[in-house]
Amino acid sequence: MHGVSVGIERLKVAYGPVTAVNDVSLDIAPGEFLALLGPSGSGKTTILMTLAGFEHPSAGRILIGSDDVTTRPTNQRNIGMVFQRYSLFPHMSVRDNVAFPLKMRGVAKGERARLAEAALAKVRLADFAGRMPAQLSGGQQQRVALARAIVYEPRVLLMDEPLSALDKNLREEMQLEILRLKEQLGITVVFVTHDQQEALTMADRVAVLSNGQLQQLGSPRDLYEAPANRFVAGFVGEMNFLDVAVVRSGADGAVVRLPGGAQAMLPPAQIAGSVVGEAVLAVRPERLAPVETGGVPVTVEQVVYSGATMLLVARVDGGAEIRARIGTHAGLAPLARGQRIALGWAPDAARLFPPGA
Amino acid sequence: MTMLARWFRGGRWLSPGAGALLLLPFALVMALAFVYPLFDLLSQGLFAPNFTTAHYQRVFDQPVYLRILWRTLLTAFSVTVLCLVLGFPVAYLLARLQGFKAAVVAACILLPLWSSVLVRTYAWVVMLRREGLVNSGLQSLGLIDAPLKLLYTEGAVLVAMAHVLLPFVVLPIYGTLKNIPPDYERAALVMGAKRFQVFREVILPLSMPGVASGSLMVFLTAIGFYVTPALIGGPQQMMISTLISQQVRELLNWPFASALVGVLLVVVLGIAAVFNRAIGIDRLTGGKA
Repeated sequence: MHGVSVGIERLKVAYGPVTAVNDVSLDIAPGEFLALLGPSGSGKTTILMTLAGFEHPSAGRILIGSDDVTTRPTNQRNIGMVFQRYSLFPHMSVRDNVAFPLKMRGVAKGERARLAEAALAKVRLADFAGRMPAQLSGGQQQRVALARAIVYEPRVLLMDEPLSALDKNLREEMQLEILRLKEQLGITVVFVTHDQQEALTMADRVAVLSNGQLQQLGSPRDLYEAPANRFVAGFVGEMNFLDVAVVRSGADGAVVRLPGGAQAMLPPAQIAGSVVGEAVLAVRPERLAPVETGGVPVTVEQVVYSGATMLLVARVDGGAEIRARIGTHAGLAPLARGQRIALGWAPDAARLFPPGA
Repeated sequence: MTMLARWFRGGRWLSPGAGALLLLPFALVMALAFVYPLFDLLSQGLFAPNFTTAHYQRVFDQPVYLRILWRTLLTAFSVTVLCLVLGFPVAYLLARLQGFKAAVVAACILLPLWSSVLVRTYAWVVMLRREGLVNSGLQSLGLIDAPLKLLYTEGAVLVAMAHVLLPFVVLPIYGTLKNIPPDYERAALVMGAKRFQVFREVILPLSMPGVASGSLMVFLTAIGFYVTPALIGGPQQMMISTLISQQVRELLNWPFASALVGVLLVVVLGIAAVFNRAIGIDRLTGGKA
């Protein structure tokens, strides 16, 4: 079985005056694992529902492989889907649940049972075929749902926050299970989640959405290291934002004046958009460290020691809170509440955004 | 575990004595107004004043009485089927609508329930009589030349009874349909099911508890229905409750009426037991139809 490409071209979904998805285009490669990440109301679920055919685009096209399926009914799209709440049919045994899509395709009874049991074996639930869904744990139910979604070898697998109802340990186990299955089947997966950690660890590429618009499409590393705008910078991982004044900006980078008066240099690759006058500097907590000269002067408010690292919560003179995660190596001077220090970073560790963007 | 035991066990702030005290008024009313008169009536059929089975024998010896009983069961069954066919789509619609639209449909179902059965039955008399709405409508459209005989027919009884009893089948089916998550339908569709397959394989089996309890409610109520068949049906449509009433009020034959009540009671309890068993087994296997 091989996955196919999925194309979303200038998709727009509107309900009356409310636009849930606005001009989103995504090209998903065959066999790729793409996560749709965003807060609730960002349009990520609407995109998935449009791919499944439960919602209808106001404009744009949906392609599965080379087929335009924009107006094709759900039951003719030949896609697999796993829902947030498992959605196993409670009146059917596990075997009958998994065999259901085959029954709908007119597969003979004996063949159905054989294929269903093979799919259950793939999710390591071969011994559970005779049980009713209510007799299984949440994690087992979701694995049955997974078997049911792949048994008919669909071209694309859609997953709507499939792990959000599971507890943490089970969630991590299921993440591995899904990745293993995806490798084994080579199927294209579109995965909706609001959990950025899940998106970063599982996906080949992540599409970050906000207010119905695509903010950034890139590898987990791109999103984390080079967020395209302030929303992505704040949404993916922890981030400190500092208001700075642009002293000079040009082809060779920018120089900004930090709170406290010191100046910092940013290479061109670290500047997103055009920055003149005021700008916002973003730097991750783990890239901050106490420095002797330069940097931003702060007052320590809280020190949380946790073994390998410690979390420093400090306040910049004049307002903003700043967090630093510092490695607890032997040479580190002890820090106390109320202490005045300066925090600095390497030039390529910070990014500069236009204000408000 | 019975409902009562669960009550006492779960009700931490309610002692068993207090629970019994709360039940007392209801139990007293039931005992005085239902259990006592029922047993008194039933005993009249067996002791007059000495033990006799003569009245029960008469029920079974004379074909006319069994025929009326059979017709009653058949009518009740037809009404139940009619209610299911008419009520299921309404229940489905109600379960899928939201907000104001759902409130309007719910009101359409509930408002008739709050009006008297007598009023609703007379409404059908007005509709169906010789110069009624239906006949005059058909005549003015030129579809018929002379008025049809609609009132005092079996069809009239069926339609009117189904109308009166419809809410009793809509509400329990609505209850079970409302509890079916919309994702079940979506899951079935995504797996390639056609609309009617979604209904046959998923919606219908999962709504069976509601269908069963609604059917039972309609069927049992229809067996003992008096007002509507008496007003809309002719002598040919006589049902057993009309027969019992006739024996008591016109012929003053209490012992024979008692025997009829006894037979009816046994039949009703038997059907209820069969239904209950079917639904009970159903629950054990996880709602399998």
